[in-house]
Amino acid sequence: MQTDWTPVALSHDIPVASAAPGRIGDTALAIWRSASGRIAAWSDRCPHRGMRLSHGYVRGERLSCIYHGWSYGEDGGCKRIPAHPDLTPPESIRVPVFACREASGVVWVAEGQPAGAPPDLAGFRGLRSLHIAAATGAIAEVFGGDGPVLRVKLGPVAVIALVQAFGDETMLHLMAPESCDLATLDALSDAAEALRRNIEAEATA
Amino acid sequence: MILYDYILSPSCYRVRLMAALLGAEMTSRPVDFHPGREHLSPEMLALNPAGTIPVLTDGSLTLRDSTAMLSYLAAGHDPEWLGEDTPAMRATVAQWLAFSQRLTSSAGAARAHDMLHGPGDIDVLRRAATLALRELEAAISAQRRRGMIFLAGPRPTIADIACFPHVALAPDGGLPLDPYPSIRLWMREIRALDGFIEMPGIHRLHELKPEPGPMPDIRQTRTTRDPKQNA
Repeated sequence: MQTDWTPVALSHDIPVASAAPGRIGDTALAIWRSASGRIAAWSDRCPHRGMRLSHGYVRGERLSCIYHGWSYGEDGGCKRIPAHPDLTPPESIRVPVFACREASGVVWVAEGQPAGAPPDLAGFRGLRSLHIAAATGAIAEVFGGDGPVLRVKLGPVAVIALVQAFGDETMLHLMAPESCDLATLDALSDAAEALRRNIEAEATA
Repeated sequence: MILYDYILSPSCYRVRLMAALLGAEMTSRPVDFHPGREHLSPEMLALNPAGTIPVLTDGSLTLRDSTAMLSYLAAGHDPEWLGEDTPAMRATVAQWLAFSQRLTSSAGAARAHDMLHGPGDIDVLRRAATLALRELEAAISAQRRRGMIFLAGPRPTIADIACFPHVALAPDGGLPLDPYPSIRLWMREIRALDGFIEMPGIHRLHELKPEPGPMPDIRQTRTTRDPKQNA
């Protein structure tokens, strides 16, 4: 399945009031969730000194840089500079904001303004995100599919593999059927580990 | 109780952190590990022939293994931290303590290589560390599926404290933690514990600190100071 959206994380890995690193293409992302639950994906760079905003902290509806505490609001604009508490920060201090949606427990990000909504993966839930030290092509080859959303079998279970280019390597976001019990989820996690070992062994062979 | 201590050592920080979480009183005796190599001085070798730090002394007792120090501190101050509720929990804690040694010899050695000119083949060390981090990530994700996050059960134990420092400092050895969402959330929980202390490279959760207020007006202080006091 093709889509303009890139899966960058599983929703359950970014709890309320936290920030996490991610990427889209070659761009590093700060993916963060506000206190009210709003998800956002920004360029992972504080305009002040270039520190990664994914190392930052969330208070209320703002993300703050860990370095000097500059804090940024929903639109990516700088709202507060702690060393100059009386200053209204100029409009030009702004973090690039990416289109970001949450659907079926997946955080999707796009460059530009995509026409459609992210894929509907009803009936599935996020299991794990696994980093694989091999290009996305190697994963597509194993699964025999194309595009970022692959409906495949892992052992006896029909799962969804979301394949994301992560630099030269890959992030695999694995979705399991909602009906799976704990033992099946554990078995799927083990199967994904085995799959990664095989793919990486192939890639380095 | 005296800890022969080095501020940049993750193994020493394990013990400082455990003591802080337990509210245990301990005197830190700094050892000039780098560049002074004081851990190999005759006095230190007399305490610990292996030449490693930390070393913990308490009266006539001398401990030379940092995970043994965690056990000693926990048993003396709050045995809940030993994680001995069931035979399985006790064995799980023991297994993670042994695993923490794998972290020391892989991620810890990679960091020592990159920061302190330590020995070893950096590629081999990073490969071994990646395997260990992946194992940890898988285990914590399994705990999360059960509504838990700590390694051996529903509460933190010495197992978490043993593993935490080398994992948190892995990026110093060229091992980014970006690919490990469960490890990131586990570290968040540890950093949020009551009594948590920092070390260079590991900070507490900023979210838990109050928003800083306005800066104090230092000009006021200067103009009202009595010049004679400085004379």
